[in-house]
Amino acid sequence: MSEPTPEAPRTEPDGSTQPQSVVLSVRGLRKHFVLHNVDGRQVDGLAGIDLDVSAGEHVALAGSSGAGKSTLLKCIYRTYLPSAGTATLRSPTGPVELTALADAELAAIRGRQFGYVSQFLRAEPRRGALDIVARAGIARGMDRATAVEAAATALRRLHVDESLWDVYASVLSGGEKQRVNLAAGTISAPQLLLLDEPVSALDPANREAALELISDLTAHGVAVLAVFHDLDAMARLASRVVVMRNGRIVQSGPPEEVLHHLEGVAR
Amino acid sequence: MTLVSAPRPTVLRVDRLGKIFGSQNPAAIEQTGPEVGSEKTPDGSSVVAAWDVSFDVAAGEAFGVIGESGSGKSTVMRAIAGDHSASAGSVRMRRRDGSTSDLLTMTQSERRALRVDELAVVYQDAADGLDLNVTAGGNIADRLTAAGGRHFGQIRERAAELLERTEVPLDRMDDLVRTFSGGMRQRVQLARALANRPPIVLFDEPTTGLDASVAAGVLDLIRSLLEELGIAAVVVSHDFSVIEMLTTRCMVMQHGRVVEQGLTDQLFEDPQAPYTQRLVAAARA
Repeated sequence: MSEPTPEAPRTEPDGSTQPQSVVLSVRGLRKHFVLHNVDGRQVDGLAGIDLDVSAGEHVALAGSSGAGKSTLLKCIYRTYLPSAGTATLRSPTGPVELTALADAELAAIRGRQFGYVSQFLRAEPRRGALDIVARAGIARGMDRATAVEAAATALRRLHVDESLWDVYASVLSGGEKQRVNLAAGTISAPQLLLLDEPVSALDPANREAALELISDLTAHGVAVLAVFHDLDAMARLASRVVVMRNGRIVQSGPPEEVLHHLEGVAR
Repeated sequence: MTLVSAPRPTVLRVDRLGKIFGSQNPAAIEQTGPEVGSEKTPDGSSVVAAWDVSFDVAAGEAFGVIGESGSGKSTVMRAIAGDHSASAGSVRMRRRDGSTSDLLTMTQSERRALRVDELAVVYQDAADGLDLNVTAGGNIADRLTAAGGRHFGQIRERAAELLERTEVPLDRMDDLVRTFSGGMRQRVQLARALANRPPIVLFDEPTTGLDASVAAGVLDLIRSLLEELGIAAVVVSHDFSVIEMLTTRCMVMQHGRVVEQGLTDQLFEDPQAPYTQRLVAAARA
């Protein structure tokens, strides 16, 4: 690998410049699916995405389903293998090109430097909520006692009832699972957090607690790239809304400018 | 570009490993594989059970090998374990003393020594990993004495500790293993494998053949042990759920060749090769 090059001020697709604080820089990112067992059918998921997310910035992805929002998150996390383009993460030791990083190195920085929280609890059968969240902390380098304490704090903050902490997470309700998932994904703040509908199953009170948690992370400098199905969450959390259609970015701007065009589109 | 975190040292590096059964004719390579649709040559003189298999495993990492029967996955594992010879390639392992050895060129006695405390194997069939006519405690004590343990009380204490850790009731310690159920035998195998704290453990279909609920319990135990003890593992299985639960990276084999390698979640969510796409679709159906 070559040495990091000094960072020049970056130019956003919309023309503004973002010096220094850019945490994620996506350029020309494409995803092309080839379905070998469906007549070799080809599907374009992303048709060239340029996007920057800075520290302390919350970028909300909007657009109808199938627009490519989740595909973009998965290509950055590398759950999907990008077909072309780059996604560069600014890490404490220099820029890391995620699309080209060796699998083992990528696995080593997942969670620690960039996190991903989906709307579903990932397969963790036969483990209790506290255990799942604490293990996420240990995987990020905490010692066991610190991790258990941090897990308890996170679960309490998201109003997960203490009587459920040692119950297998697989038997929890959808909303409880989602909060366990969010607690695990945010137990230690990464530089970049990718959120895919993390509050979709929550009732208003719990949703409120989750949104506050996410808002706090942004306030503490975490760069957030998120998909929410409701415009209200976007309006409250987003510093910028990016609208996608057919795997492309078609609009980008502050929520108050963008969101009123979106009524009926993002819902 | 710089590395973001100090990478964990590689403890096992398999490089272009190959195993041909029967005639060692090099032409057999071109006559076999996924494109041809068979690991056997048309004239039946050679079976290319594995060819050009390369991967590495870092300290504390679990690497998966997935494939159907006949794919070559168990051949790869048995070549690494030294249960049969290889036809090509190398398997370099980082030893406790920091040196590196090629497991394929070791003598039998060196290999036996290695298997005592540096490289353990958990087999699908407990009869391959245990002496069924010896007690659970005796099977473990055998490993401890092989590693130089001489004090009866200490050996027994450590054996009990291991059985406890692998959730075998201590009142079964002095029962012959052949009186044990399948799930319990796997737990004893695990206890024996871990006896001398090896840095690498190979798992060959560790839960295949067990009832679903028993398999789930054994799988949980393996997962916890790998996490807590920081053991590097190679897990061979035809079962996607086993690979998904235990590994972070894996490869797919078919007809003796590697058809795809990647992060486990990527391989399941965005498989590239036609064969992997078919496997994933079948597993999800």
